[in-house]
Amino acid sequence: MKQLFNKRMILFVQYMLVAALIIGGAGFCDAGGFFAFDDMEKPKPEFNRRGEEISAKLIPRAKSTRTVINFRVADGGQLVDVKGVDFQTVDRPEVDVKNFKSAAFEIRIDNVKPGGEARVSMDSDFFAASTAFYVFNPKLEKPWMTPQIVNISRQESIRELVVTVRDGSPLDADGAVDGRIILIGGPRDSFWGYALGTLFIRFFGIFIVLSILMLGMILSGLYFKFNERTQKSENESLGNISGPEKKETGDELPGQSSEATEEEAAVIAAALYLHFKQTSVQTDRVSAQKDEGAWALGGRQRIMNDRLSVFNRLNR
Amino acid sequence: MSWQQVLDLIISIFTTQTGLPNLMFKQVIMIGVAFFFLYLAVAKKFEPLLLVPIGFGIFLVNFPLTPLMGFTEQGAPELIRVFYKYGVEWEVIPCVIFLGLGAMTDFSPLIANPKTLIIGAGAQLGVFITYIGVLFFGFTLKEAASVGIIGGADGPTTIYLTSKLAPHLLGANALAAYSYMAMVPLIQPPIMRLMTTPEQRCIKMHQLRSVSVKEKILFPLIAALLIIFLVPAVAPLMGMFMFGNFMRESGVVKRLTDTAQNALMNIVTIFLGLSVGATMQAEKFLTPKPLLIFAFGLMDFVVCTIGGILTVHVMNLFLKEKINPLIGSAGVSAVPMSARVSHAEGLKADPDNWLIMHAMGPNLAGVIGSAAAAGMFIAMFQ
Repeated sequence: MKQLFNKRMILFVQYMLVAALIIGGAGFCDAGGFFAFDDMEKPKPEFNRRGEEISAKLIPRAKSTRTVINFRVADGGQLVDVKGVDFQTVDRPEVDVKNFKSAAFEIRIDNVKPGGEARVSMDSDFFAASTAFYVFNPKLEKPWMTPQIVNISRQESIRELVVTVRDGSPLDADGAVDGRIILIGGPRDSFWGYALGTLFIRFFGIFIVLSILMLGMILSGLYFKFNERTQKSENESLGNISGPEKKETGDELPGQSSEATEEEAAVIAAALYLHFKQTSVQTDRVSAQKDEGAWALGGRQRIMNDRLSVFNRLNR
Repeated sequence: MSWQQVLDLIISIFTTQTGLPNLMFKQVIMIGVAFFFLYLAVAKKFEPLLLVPIGFGIFLVNFPLTPLMGFTEQGAPELIRVFYKYGVEWEVIPCVIFLGLGAMTDFSPLIANPKTLIIGAGAQLGVFITYIGVLFFGFTLKEAASVGIIGGADGPTTIYLTSKLAPHLLGANALAAYSYMAMVPLIQPPIMRLMTTPEQRCIKMHQLRSVSVKEKILFPLIAALLIIFLVPAVAPLMGMFMFGNFMRESGVVKRLTDTAQNALMNIVTIFLGLSVGATMQAEKFLTPKPLLIFAFGLMDFVVCTIGGILTVHVMNLFLKEKINPLIGSAGVSAVPMSARVSHAEGLKADPDNWLIMHAMGPNLAGVIGSAAAAGMFIAMFQ
């Protein structure tokens, strides 16, 4: 047994070492960019214009269902076009693509009073209270910036982000005071904040779900136990009353007759003798279990394993 | 026709219509991998019911010019692609397997001791730790969730979640899940000994109460009602699981129960194994991700085992009748393997301590817990 334990320990340590080596090696390779995996979740927005509003329909990163972001100019200009921007073209070390779940957009606004302001509005049920809007201007030394935005809660879990952009300001990607604004940017949510937040919420969620199930089962168990007790006591009281009545009907099972022949009595006595003898042998065996060796324990193990056949999922 | 033309024709047939000149090194490696799994299944009896079809699936799809997992020129799916498309992609097979599992499962130990459900929840710790861990290695959130669920130790749940969130990882995830499930007797005992004292291992638990037939019939209805209300995303899995169990416990549809337990289960196992194996084509499988998945899968199992045992320790702080912490490790849902391991470890500590039926409670709770975790992940990405 000790040898087996040592063997298993060694094997286990070996597995752990292999796992550690793989993870360590992978981490080492990652530093060299070996694990620069393909961007498999790149959002591919489809745009649709309805009057003054342009809608982008897309599957954001870390989502399986489509969402819609509606763009419009609330004040100060006219929305001309909204395009999707490949994040690779605006990727810089100071930003992480994972934080931009719905990718980046290029928003073109015309008919702005030269040097004037336009208010760009975006609404979606995908935005959260913590959603920010980051703006990109390739002409600046530090191209990514965080403008002041207004994050408003609308009905049915829709949130609206409003960005105010001045023509020719750093937020305007064309950089010129020409009555046209080009706003490049995207809604930003904290990837790690979401990942860690959801970790705690969902882990404790499982506890809550199973605790509720546990309570349901405890309550139903109490009901059944109570029911069983009540039925038992009812049966007992009924048995006391119906006992003599049964006798009156004469509906007796064989062997229940109050009178037995001499031959029957002998058979019953022999059966009882054999039964009690067997029981006493079994009791002796049980008490002697501790003194028995691996053979007996192995037998018990096999009996218990046979009981397990009902749970055996090997057949799947 | 000149001899030269005949020779050209033969060369043309050889190079364009036979596999040998098109064979790539990566495919040779994958055929080697297939042989390895077939060897484990046949010679070592290592989860043969799954590794035989999986191994053969890997073997079949890694020949050059084989059309098994592709599409015809008209866009119709080829043979194994049909199994994959309608069985796995449409998420039918994992749910049918859950139906069969439900029909096979006796929930009495869980009904008799509902407290063990909490252990099943605690044993999902590794699922979430791994989910965070793989994110550091550049996995997406969906991929991380599908890798994390490996620690739940439930093959169909892993396949269901992976096919929904990260189908490109299906082969690696399924293989890691089933491999580590088979290695439960190897992985868990050292952790169990590390996390418990000899005295704790000797804790004796009271005989479980007998459970009436009515209770057993009502259990799948109550469980489905509560779980599906709370986690609607898990309805396909949990619904089928509880339906299978209801058929079993009702006792009035013995033929259907028998079919779900045996014939149906065997049929879908063949198609599942082949489909999963067929996803492991050289160009998709020989990447760093499957290696990472195998490494994290092991860590996942270890943390899940620790989570289950720790949960028992915490519960024992509040309970009058102490629970033997060895049954905590059975919270991973490798049924009944992990319960057997708890029982065997208990016997080593005290030859008169029979933990098997007590360990079945957390074991079954682990099935429900891992399905709930999968439901939580699915809901997260909706």
